[in-house]
Amino acid sequence: MKFVGIVGSNAEKSYNRKLLHFIKTKYQDLFELEIVEIKDIPMFNQSNDQTHSEPIQKINKAILDADGVIIATPEHNHTIPSGLKSVLEWLSFNIHPFDGKPVMIVGASYFNQGSSRAQLHLRQILDAPGVNAIVMPGNEFLLGKVKEAFDSNDQLKDANTVKFLGSVLEKFTKFVSLVNRLEAPKEEPLPKEDLHATNAIDTTIADVDMAAEDWVEQAAKKVNAVEGNTYVKLNRGILTVDQINTFLASMPMELTFADENNQFLYYNYTKEAADMLADRVPGQVGNPLVLCHPERSLGSVEWVIQQLRSGKQDAVRVNVPTHGPDKFVVHNYQAMRDEEGNYKGINEYILDFKPIVDWYLKQTGLKLEGEIDAGSGASAKDHGVDAGSGATAKG
Amino acid sequence: MNHFIGLVGTNSDKSTNRQLLQFMKQHFSEKATIEIVEIKDLPLFNKPEDKTLPPLVKEVADKIEQADGVIISTPEYDHAVPASLMSALNWLSYGIYPFVDKPVMITGASYGTLGSSRAQAHLRHMLDSPELKARIMPSSEFLLNHSLQSFDEENNLKDLEKTEELSNLFDDFLVFVNIVNQLVHAHGSNKKAAANFSWENQ
Repeated sequence: MKFVGIVGSNAEKSYNRKLLHFIKTKYQDLFELEIVEIKDIPMFNQSNDQTHSEPIQKINKAILDADGVIIATPEHNHTIPSGLKSVLEWLSFNIHPFDGKPVMIVGASYFNQGSSRAQLHLRQILDAPGVNAIVMPGNEFLLGKVKEAFDSNDQLKDANTVKFLGSVLEKFTKFVSLVNRLEAPKEEPLPKEDLHATNAIDTTIADVDMAAEDWVEQAAKKVNAVEGNTYVKLNRGILTVDQINTFLASMPMELTFADENNQFLYYNYTKEAADMLADRVPGQVGNPLVLCHPERSLGSVEWVIQQLRSGKQDAVRVNVPTHGPDKFVVHNYQAMRDEEGNYKGINEYILDFKPIVDWYLKQTGLKLEGEIDAGSGASAKDHGVDAGSGATAKG
Repeated sequence: MNHFIGLVGTNSDKSTNRQLLQFMKQHFSEKATIEIVEIKDLPLFNKPEDKTLPPLVKEVADKIEQADGVIISTPEYDHAVPASLMSALNWLSYGIYPFVDKPVMITGASYGTLGSSRAQAHLRHMLDSPELKARIMPSSEFLLNHSLQSFDEENNLKDLEKTEELSNLFDDFLVFVNIVNQLVHAHGSNKKAAANFSWENQ
């Protein structure tokens, strides 16, 4: 984390400057601190705008680039120094680098009070709409009697003070993370998914009704699809269509292929719907995804595809506990991409991996510990992806 | 007749607070003389170690010292007194103490609806510090909001009710000045406290 430390005094000698230098070196494991001086910044005057002068731009940029700001303020006339106030006025006039910036206030003073009034007042100023900083609540650090506080090497003498200051600074780093999350630009919503599969792609077989029961037969005829013992060259190998089918049928899972146009093109048909983990029927193949799911789960389907297409997630997994304790069923939605990384569709594989787990436990003598909570571990649970979101044979 | 200093609380070329003081000067000319004093040519306070004051600071300090009271009219920047006025007050309490036990009336004008209410509270706070220790007229506040629309072409306050309010406050201030002049007991120790205040290396 990178912070800016503003020396709130423009005087030649300042204990607040000393305090910031101490913080910079003592707590360098917590954050990097760039100390900024205000003495070159002119008096604010609204009839003589110097916003674009070098010293003001310099501090503006430093604040904009920092994750957070620490201001060390003395107290003059029961309030912050006019020099510091002047800086804040420039930085809230035509530019607003403090807007949404996490700020921590510290202060040293010659007397017992340790700039308490100036600190309170600084909070009020930083809260003004033109400044709009986000000041860490509580955690006041007031260093009174500064003259006696530092040793000859400019180190704070009192061990408890050092410890307390460290704890406050550590809290500030957490506060900064929190605020920066709060202030982060809202994520752009991902583009809508066309679950009706109306955006034909190069491989879409045109002029065949996607909803037709015999879509496979019609489409195969249309493109002269090869079958049977015709050889197909693959990466890497050669198989006949029959061999490919045998191979895919032997996969210990239900495999489904939907292309990037959200059209359901294939599943490894080995069982009838009633015996499947997620039921499919042969007549469904070719359907746009909107026809493969109950209406209530279309939102989840869209969310999953958005994650995969955008690359936000490479795979979305959903634990589906509805099969009872004797099955560990997981629906895996794996993004498929070409060699350039372009999204090519979903490889959905659904399996009960309990036989694998059981075999492994038996082999190794290991045991599962605790109750198996059927409902836990669904990575996409927060988004309402449930058992119903898988392609199912719909009414 | 009392002689007051009207301190313009900003360095801006255009200021409705300046306008307000000019109006008071003219409107109350039968009751007191008001000399308008600007802060716009004072340098930014930087706490010089040798405590040398700019000549202009001494000039303003002398004027305040000799006056029967001070009227400060402040705008509000970022919920507070403008840096230029803060700086002026810093100078005017740096080794010199013209404000100690000086009767002060605070007014303020703002373009918006709040009429510099927070700046006025802040100014009271500052004037109460040991090195300034002014005698601020208590329980009085003159807030002129929407100040850009408040004056006519002859620089008169358009709103008669507001004008009456200000007149009443000013009359009270005249009485207050008299009262303060009788509050002599603490003066010696206040001066001493101000002189003892150390600006050392904060």
